[in-house]
Amino acid sequence: MSNRTAALYKLSSVQFAALELHIYLDTHPGDVEAQKKYNEYTAAYKAMLKEFEALYGPITCPADGEEWLKDPWPWDVTKECDC
Amino acid sequence: MFQYEKKLQYPVNIKNPNPKYAQIIISQYGGPDGELGASLRYLSQRFSMPYAELKGLLTDIGTEELGHLEMIGAIVYQLTRNLSIDEIKKSGFDKYFVDHTTGIYPVAASGAPYTVTTFQSKGDTITDLHEDLAAEQKARTTYDNILRLVDDPDVREPIKFLREREIVHYQRFGEGLRLATDKLNEKNFYAFNPSFDKKCNRK
Repeated sequence: MSNRTAALYKLSSVQFAALELHIYLDTHPGDVEAQKKYNEYTAAYKAMLKEFEALYGPITCPADGEEWLKDPWPWDVTKECDC
Repeated sequence: MFQYEKKLQYPVNIKNPNPKYAQIIISQYGGPDGELGASLRYLSQRFSMPYAELKGLLTDIGTEELGHLEMIGAIVYQLTRNLSIDEIKKSGFDKYFVDHTTGIYPVAASGAPYTVTTFQSKGDTITDLHEDLAAEQKARTTYDNILRLVDDPDVREPIKFLREREIVHYQRFGEGLRLATDKLNEKNFYAFNPSFDKKCNRK
């Protein structure tokens, strides 16, 4: 697995934790413990995203046009070229 | 508004193309209980939701479903790359191929094109939430069936992730329904429409 792929998986797992808590908080808006966890994961995600984009180029908008167009796209098979 | 993130919600990396699997899994792209219908259903229903929790829930789940649609598209795309004409004929993929080559088009496994007639946006909070609960279960059943038909772990892993999301969404919609019924006027025993009949809401 390439460094980029490993970093992307790590980033995605933290983002997923934040998303799961975010949806939970839609139906539990007063849950202080969940809100605290959500804030932690969101802060961690923001820091990781900044680091990832500095190393591997943009994955969120707005982004520089030329950088944005670079491979890989999300549906590309990335494991093959990592071997 | 919506902004794109250039990543999948959960990774899809399929080593071995398999047009047989592609024909089954495309049902979750454009079939009766697929991700396109799911996202359109929730993102349309949210406009008539009277409570903030439900506006949030339908927006967030509807948006996540768009990410799932992209994952299914990626699975079908990867399952149909580098196919020979012989493989296309032998697998029965020729019936799809003749109209779409290996492009991704929203159809059911039966070949029926995507239709919005598979979902409702009824403008009634209680009615819509019951539909949403059923929709999550129908999608979960479809993923169960896909897992019965598919052996390749590269394909099974993202499908298992999507199946789990149906279960979590079902849970959240259940809580949403309870929130909505709690907010009804105590005289509204039969749960008349709180989206339209505003007097049905608790003062």
